[in-house]
Amino acid sequence: MRRALDRVWLRQLAALLVFLGVWEAAGRAGLLNPLYVPEPSAVAAALVELFGTGTIWPHLAATFAAAIAGLLLGLAVGTVLGILAALVPFVAEIVEPFMILLNAVPRVVLAPLFVIWFGIDLGSKIALAFILVAVLIFFTVYTGIRQVDRRLVERVVTLGGGRGALLREVYLPSLVAWLLGQLKVAVGFAFTGAVVGEFVAASRGLGYLLSFAQSTYNAALMLALVLLIVGFVLLIFALAGRLERRLLRWRG
Amino acid sequence: MLRVAGLSLAYDETTPVLEDASLAIDAGSFVSLVGPSGSGKSSLLRAIMGLERPTAGRIETDLGMREIGILFQDDALLPWRSAVENVALGLRLRGDGRADTVAQAESWLARLGLSGLGDRYPRALSGGQRKRVALAQVLALKPRLLLMDEPFASLDAITRVRVTQDLLALVESQHMTVLLVTHDLEEALALSDVVYLLSHGPRAHISRRYDVPIARPRDVVTARTDPAFAPLLAALWRDLQREVAGETVAA
Repeated sequence: MRRALDRVWLRQLAALLVFLGVWEAAGRAGLLNPLYVPEPSAVAAALVELFGTGTIWPHLAATFAAAIAGLLLGLAVGTVLGILAALVPFVAEIVEPFMILLNAVPRVVLAPLFVIWFGIDLGSKIALAFILVAVLIFFTVYTGIRQVDRRLVERVVTLGGGRGALLREVYLPSLVAWLLGQLKVAVGFAFTGAVVGEFVAASRGLGYLLSFAQSTYNAALMLALVLLIVGFVLLIFALAGRLERRLLRWRG
Repeated sequence: MLRVAGLSLAYDETTPVLEDASLAIDAGSFVSLVGPSGSGKSSLLRAIMGLERPTAGRIETDLGMREIGILFQDDALLPWRSAVENVALGLRLRGDGRADTVAQAESWLARLGLSGLGDRYPRALSGGQRKRVALAQVLALKPRLLLMDEPFASLDAITRVRVTQDLLALVESQHMTVLLVTHDLEEALALSDVVYLLSHGPRAHISRRYDVPIARPRDVVTARTDPAFAPLLAALWRDLQREVAGETVAA
């Protein structure tokens, strides 16, 4: 027993089990109001029901579609704008003030506006996820390119490299490193955008389900959904982490 | 082989870093440039390499840009390329075939005592090893003139002597001409046929030239015991002190 508890993750797991056990016991003893704090077994039951009846799938699909589409669009547009702004001063003059403004406001306040512009379907959720990701990626790429290691640039130039070689040997690998460094944050932003968008106005999605659970005072369902979102984001983090380790082997 | 004539260089309009600096490098010679810190030694080297644009004066050479290699103090190896890929980079940029460049790069790594480390990324190499990779990268291009700016300043004393010794052997065997920028007077004298002293900056110029009559090939350590060494070091040290004092008076 002592041996087993030497491992950190085992101690953490034990602590979690104790916590859940106390929570469950307190619930059953009537110390917690199930309307506010349902016991873990009720949350688990809600989760099982979501999957058992299959009601969760269209909602999951909607949220994932919005988050992934917004993420990809945001990565693409943010990268292209960032590169253009770093290389063409005219573009920087036009784009930078907008981006600074967008960066300064909490971008989720745009959600109601996007519903008017793009409707209550997927469009408004993609737009919100997109704007959250695009601004982040724009600044990552824009400042990254301007701060690229001068020594590397000079090294490639003195070895006889031209613009093409600089792009291939210095700028692109730097770009990949910056983008991967922000990938986890971007994934979090994309899901935030999708779920908040659904929260505001939607007919499907995890955010919509959350809003529905709130209106029916179903705390068990809400906790189950929060748990589900946490689970999926952790899964995507793990995938992003693998990609990072693979592509950034050189960081050791 | 290379002549710098009346070179001036300014980063801003008021005070030029260099003013009317002139020096000559003969083919096959080892030349050092010493001077007070901040005097513009690096600027002069960068101007020769075409990284700075002089405001006046000429740089005359019968060499093409491709025949000049340069080594800076900071080793700027590409962190995302392995040692062998870094060495092959210069060869590749000059349009040699891919398979051949890797083979050449590996033989240069071996020549610098890095056999078997070719697959490592720069992060996984020690400071001395990284410096050797940077050296291999430059030497693989077979430059006729090698420009070096405090190349080994970041290395510990023992590593520094060992890398310098290996470099000297390669300089002799490849018949390279070298211009070394250093603040280490003993190193300059031990290695060079000619030492130029740069005056204090700003408006620095070449204030003196010393010819070092010690036979080559040399050994970095035993060259210091040559009878010609001590008097030259004393003279160089005295003149450098004057330059630094001049700077104080001017200030």
